[in-house]
Amino acid sequence: MKKLFKTFGVMAMASMLMLGSACGGGGTESTVDKEGNTIIKIMFHVDEKSAEGQAYKKRIDAFNAAYKDQKIKASASYIARTAGAADYEQKLTGMQNEGSLPDIITFDAPNCASYVKSGLIYDISNIVPQDVQNDFISLNKYDGKLYGLPIQESSAGFYYNKKIFADANIDVSGYTMENPWTFDQFKAVCQKLEDAGKTAVDMRLDATKDETATYLLYPFIYAAGGDFLSADGYTANGYFNSAATQSGFQFIKDLVTEGYTSYAIGATDFFDGKVGMYLSSGWTIPDLDNKYPAQFPNRDSWGLLPYPKGTAGASATGSWSFAITDNQHEDKTQIKELLLWLVTAESSKGITDATGMIPARKSVETNYAAGSPEAVLLSQLEKTGRERPATVGYPQFSNNFRQVIYDMKTKDLATVLTEKASALQAELDKLKGM
Amino acid sequence: MIGSTLAILGVLVAIFAAVAVKDVLVSRRKQMRYNLKNCLVSYGMMMPAVVLTFIFVLLPIIYSLGYAFTNFYLLKPNDIDFNGVDNFKQIFESIRSKGDMYHAICNTSVFVVCVVPLQIGLALGLALFVNRQKAGVGIFKVCYFAPVVISLTITAYLWLQILSPSEYGLLNSFLKLFGVAPKDFLRDPDRAMLWIVVLSAWQGCGYQMLIFLSGLTNIRKELYEAAALDGANVWQQFLHITCPGLRSTFLFVVITVFVGACRVMIQPMLMTGYQSHTVTLSYYMYVQGYSYRWVGYSSAVALLMTIVIGSITLLQRRLLREKD
Amino acid sequence: MENVNVQNQQKLEEKRLHDRAQRGKIIRSTVYYVCGTLLAVLFLFPLVYMLATSTKNESAYAADAGSLMMFLPDFKNLSAAADNYGKVFTDYGIWKYALNSVLYAAVIIVLNIVINGLAGYVMAKFEFPGKGFFSFIILFLIVVPVETSIIPLYSIVKVLLGLKGTSSVLAVILPSSISIFNIFLFIQFFEGIPKEYEEAARIDGAGSLRIFFSMILPLSKPIVATVATFCFIGAWNDYLWPTMVLPYAEEGAWPLYPIQSALTSIQSIQGITTGEIMASLVVTSIPIFIVYVVAQKYIVQGFGSAGLKM
Repeated sequence: MKKLFKTFGVMAMASMLMLGSACGGGGTESTVDKEGNTIIKIMFHVDEKSAEGQAYKKRIDAFNAAYKDQKIKASASYIARTAGAADYEQKLTGMQNEGSLPDIITFDAPNCASYVKSGLIYDISNIVPQDVQNDFISLNKYDGKLYGLPIQESSAGFYYNKKIFADANIDVSGYTMENPWTFDQFKAVCQKLEDAGKTAVDMRLDATKDETATYLLYPFIYAAGGDFLSADGYTANGYFNSAATQSGFQFIKDLVTEGYTSYAIGATDFFDGKVGMYLSSGWTIPDLDNKYPAQFPNRDSWGLLPYPKGTAGASATGSWSFAITDNQHEDKTQIKELLLWLVTAESSKGITDATGMIPARKSVETNYAAGSPEAVLLSQLEKTGRERPATVGYPQFSNNFRQVIYDMKTKDLATVLTEKASALQAELDKLKGM
Repeated sequence: MIGSTLAILGVLVAIFAAVAVKDVLVSRRKQMRYNLKNCLVSYGMMMPAVVLTFIFVLLPIIYSLGYAFTNFYLLKPNDIDFNGVDNFKQIFESIRSKGDMYHAICNTSVFVVCVVPLQIGLALGLALFVNRQKAGVGIFKVCYFAPVVISLTITAYLWLQILSPSEYGLLNSFLKLFGVAPKDFLRDPDRAMLWIVVLSAWQGCGYQMLIFLSGLTNIRKELYEAAALDGANVWQQFLHITCPGLRSTFLFVVITVFVGACRVMIQPMLMTGYQSHTVTLSYYMYVQGYSYRWVGYSSAVALLMTIVIGSITLLQRRLLREKD
Repeated sequence: MENVNVQNQQKLEEKRLHDRAQRGKIIRSTVYYVCGTLLAVLFLFPLVYMLATSTKNESAYAADAGSLMMFLPDFKNLSAAADNYGKVFTDYGIWKYALNSVLYAAVIIVLNIVINGLAGYVMAKFEFPGKGFFSFIILFLIVVPVETSIIPLYSIVKVLLGLKGTSSVLAVILPSSISIFNIFLFIQFFEGIPKEYEEAARIDGAGSLRIFFSMILPLSKPIVATVATFCFIGAWNDYLWPTMVLPYAEEGAWPLYPIQSALTSIQSIQGITTGEIMASLVVTSIPIFIVYVVAQKYIVQGFGSAGLKM
């Protein structure tokens, strides 16, 4: 009998322990540390070791030094945003679920509406002073209220290999922001490149597994006079599949059928001198400056052209932004200090120096040389920058957009667009009913 | 959440108690007493497994079942309402209008119908091939098992290089020797799924090979010797000794491969992304439940999947089980 | 004379037959090994590719893409290999994550064997009221492949059990420690152990727990090895769930992520080369490969003796 009790007791203890450890592990995380500092938590979407991560780290360290006397301390974490399982968003959702959201987060601008709708981010209209707001090139607004401050601005364009262009006798010096090239001129350049035996342009049609393809290609549809969604963001039928939208996609498809571009261009083909033009964002500038000395020894070997113009001008914009979360911390005054610190002209410059992007604030001295790629991006951003559609169903929109890009090679464009428009509409209807 | 959990626990304990009381009554009638000490020891030793099963296996299933009838939106965990069969109406609407659910069903069916025979055939062939006493067979076994060991992620990445549409892609450069123009294998709406079938069978068959091998070692050697004395050829031996001997192993393999195939997701996710010609049911569930955040809807899809897969496995069991 | 001749002819005939048989055997063996090797190539080339690429720097990788060279290491520039592997270990600190994974896997294996083994032992050898209920649940969970989204499990772990911060480690370990399938394997195996062994031990006065640990488990090496191997492979390859439940590493603290979760963030480091990614993949594949090579004999036995009657 004694043995019996022992056996039973051991087993019972073991299971109690398991349950106990399972339940007791929680513990509330205090927001004041041992030295009496108020801890403000912030989360970034890049790896700490990346250049961008290092730039953020520097700004956070500077903040902690500056606010030491006021006993405010920022504690940062860095979660790389990966393509496969979307780590960053996943963590964010998880944190909201368990009630452990940090005080400040970064988020991709098109997600704004969706985060607002789900109560993730906080209305900062009254927190950010009006003069600061006015100094931003763009702001993340929804329903007239301010929810996010851009970390930096982005713009994209066509990088081109000057040697290839010279060999093919192509002169693009006339195509500037003041005098943008047209769809037809774009095709003419492509034709000449093809005659010279090169693949004309890498349109990044293979980048449909993440946001890249949407970000780089949506301006063509706006440039062709097309549209994606109604102004309230809930109607796709009649917009996503309109004739003008189709003509925008058709332009991209023509580039494929005429052999100017393809879905099979290798990731480094442009950098190896096999392709004439490369559609990409500002983040390619540091790469061209540093990484490929064989093809691109200096800035005289490559240039940057703006998006071509259809019936209207349009170019890609939008980047990541800072937001204050709607978490359990009622008192936002100290959080506000950190937010404003992160968007000062000095912070803005430190970050964009590392990323090669455009500072989000107008007052930041940029000193770009006239005609430099940075200057082209900046002036394009001001003149033709157009945001991706603001909709609660942004993930759904982007997914369907990428499917069109993927499918249009093998399928009839009108059919694909009608199909995707109704698929997207079904998703938007669900959101509207929420 | 604690309230509903306790309620579920209560129901389960009540059912258990009813079964236990019935057992005791029956044993009384049969004059066959349970040994009290043994009973307590049994309960004690079962306890850790029971607790963990309840929390981590049964509860998620029951919650998932419940969520299928709600409008649970991932970012609004504190605002869940029952919405009856709305989710199921939406599913059928998506099938009727040939939306993504329709594509997901078609693609998953194509995948399952092709991959189950291919993978099992390969596995059985390999098992028969390495099931002999020869020097170096062990090395072969390790080689054939290798793709199982490297994760699906690496497999998908590698096959992307093989199937690359560029003329420098491995398969395309091979085809070029025969004068075939470069093909875009994964973008071909009719064939993309078949390529995914091929690489999945290639990746997974080593595991089933191992299981068949264990089944083969269980067949007594004397049976073959006796058959050889009777003049039976290799094929006859296979048909009359190997096949019956492998029956229960075969059932096990068929069911596990079938269920695994129904859940295919990583390969299309990493190789083509979300496309109507490769989206599968699990992938659709993931996108709806996670990317689009409709947990309720996604749970409803899961429920339907469970019903369909469950009935098919039951049918397989009935057809293939040994009659004993 | 004639006799000798006949004998000689017989001998010659025998020799010819024997030669032919021998030749046939050699041909068959050759065919067998050639086929086996071809198949091996077919199944091994990803590993070869991984290994080869892990020795290259970016330009060598780009130059070799699309040719058979992608399966050969870069012999001309061996320092590139050293660079890649060195970086993986020092700059990216992969050993910390590898150590985490080993620890998680070890705990999961032990818990799996003890918890599921005990349950299997009870179900196989004991009679108690309410056994039918447990049998039904096990059978049901084995027979019906239930699809669930991962989200209910997530809310159970985070909301119901409140596993946050460091205790999230339990959220990685505990759900992986229970496996109905392993219980099922154990039941099938234990049913094959003759009752007499146990009765003899009982007469010697051993308690049930002691019988389990000192007799049943040692008698069940094949099934224990099978379960342990697959637990290890599962734990080592698990990626989505640990990434979801574990907190990111705070500055300066020891990270909690296992290796696969770390791999994905390593891959997204700006400026990382394909060679470095492949080097990290090689490093993560090696332990599994070793475990499998060591355990494969037991695995075949384990599945074989469990019988797998569903």
